Amino acid sequence: MNRELAREMILSLIIILSQLLIFNHMNLFGIVNPYIYVSLFILYKTSYDKTYLILFGFLVGLIIDLSMQTYGAHTLASITICFLKERIEKYSFGVNSILPLAMISGTQLTNRVTYFLIIIFLHSLIYFSLIFFKLEFTLTIFLYTIINSIINFIIIWIISKLIFDR
Amino acid sequence: MQSIINSIVKNRNLIIYLLLTFISFNYLYNNSSIHYSGVGKIGTFISGSTSNFYSKINSYFNLKEENRKLIEENLELKKIESQFIRISDKSIISESNIDKTLNAKVILNSINKSKNIIVINKGGLNGITNEMGVISSKGVVGIIKNITDNYSSIVSLLNIDLRINAILKNSSTIGSISWDGLDPRIVQLNDIPLSSTIKVGDTIVTGGMSFYFPKGIPIGKIEDYNNTSLEGYYSINVSIFNDFSSLSNLYILERSDNDEIKSLLNE
Repeated sequence: MNRELAREMILSLIIILSQLLIFNHMNLFGIVNPYIYVSLFILYKTSYDKTYLILFGFLVGLIIDLSMQTYGAHTLASITICFLKERIEKYSFGVNSILPLAMISGTQLTNRVTYFLIIIFLHSLIYFSLIFFKLEFTLTIFLYTIINSIINFIIIWIISKLIFDR
Repeated sequence: MQSIINSIVKNRNLIIYLLLTFISFNYLYNNSSIHYSGVGKIGTFISGSTSNFYSKINSYFNLKEENRKLIEENLELKKIESQFIRISDKSIISESNIDKTLNAKVILNSINKSKNIIVINKGGLNGITNEMGVISSKGVVGIIKNITDNYSSIVSLLNIDLRINAILKNSSTIGSISWDGLDPRIVQLNDIPLSSTIKVGDTIVTGGMSFYFPKGIPIGKIEDYNNTSLEGYYSINVSIFNDFSSLSNLYILERSDNDEIKSLLNE
């Protein structure tokens, strides 16, 4: 097996396990849960198959849902960002996105920040909309989404630098 | 035929995405009520197993706080014990219909969702069955929902699907407690007619007219109320006695007469 692929699989496993065992139980300021597993979708290489990414997103989302009793909210958020990832890449990186393996290091900082933020914001928005699922909570949904996006962005940014070195 | 296959292959990502979205929505939809669900059971098992690991580590850091709570709980029990001896004990026991209580520890808890679930470290093997009432030293916590061999999940009082029969302690007016999903310290008391007299600070206890709880278990006290409703009922905010963010030791109530009452209803 390709050495690079094996390394990424092990890292993914570590991320999922630390999400299940540690980050699921963290509750910063009473409303923020760090969802570090989103980093797996953000850092999924553009050269890999997109269909696998959607199936991978479904699997990871389902595991997180089962462990947190959120009944499909994580799954839906995950598969949606996996499905839209290619479009978000195109929007964030412009012409550079078609260059395979040029991701993510070697791109401009603003492009990278936009890319990270869009995915994390979209994930939080879908997740909290499904969790609250009532129109009268619209303001709460946006508040939770914005605060969670900012904190999660910082955490995932650090993870991408430290672990994946991208 | 070839063109159909080609278009399926071309749009396979969209098709897979829509299929998985449908599956996820179905999963979400089927689990929104408090009834038994097979998938929820698997969830209870997985979250129970993973949370147990975290809970074990975490419990070491909370020992000091845990001790303080236990002492407080012990004192409370001593007080009750002394009252028990004074009053003739027979009348109290026969009124509550509680067969026995089981003790359990919280291993997963949340207060920041609209449908909060608590997972405890006791399950079917310990004699827990569906829809048993759960209380803490301070009052009502919720109702057992799903059970595996070693873990159970509880629909918390802080779950918008749960309604509990309740009464005003002073006047015995019957209402029901539910949560609007906003503030984890405040629940709502409904169905109290404007004709009854209430005041801020009145204690709310369980009404006993359900399978889950006997009469008289504390829930909270009236925080504020609004009598301007056109429907003829107060809208009352109740601040709950329990602090749901720091639940640890819970007691599960087993009522002896449930099966008998249920068989009566089914006839």
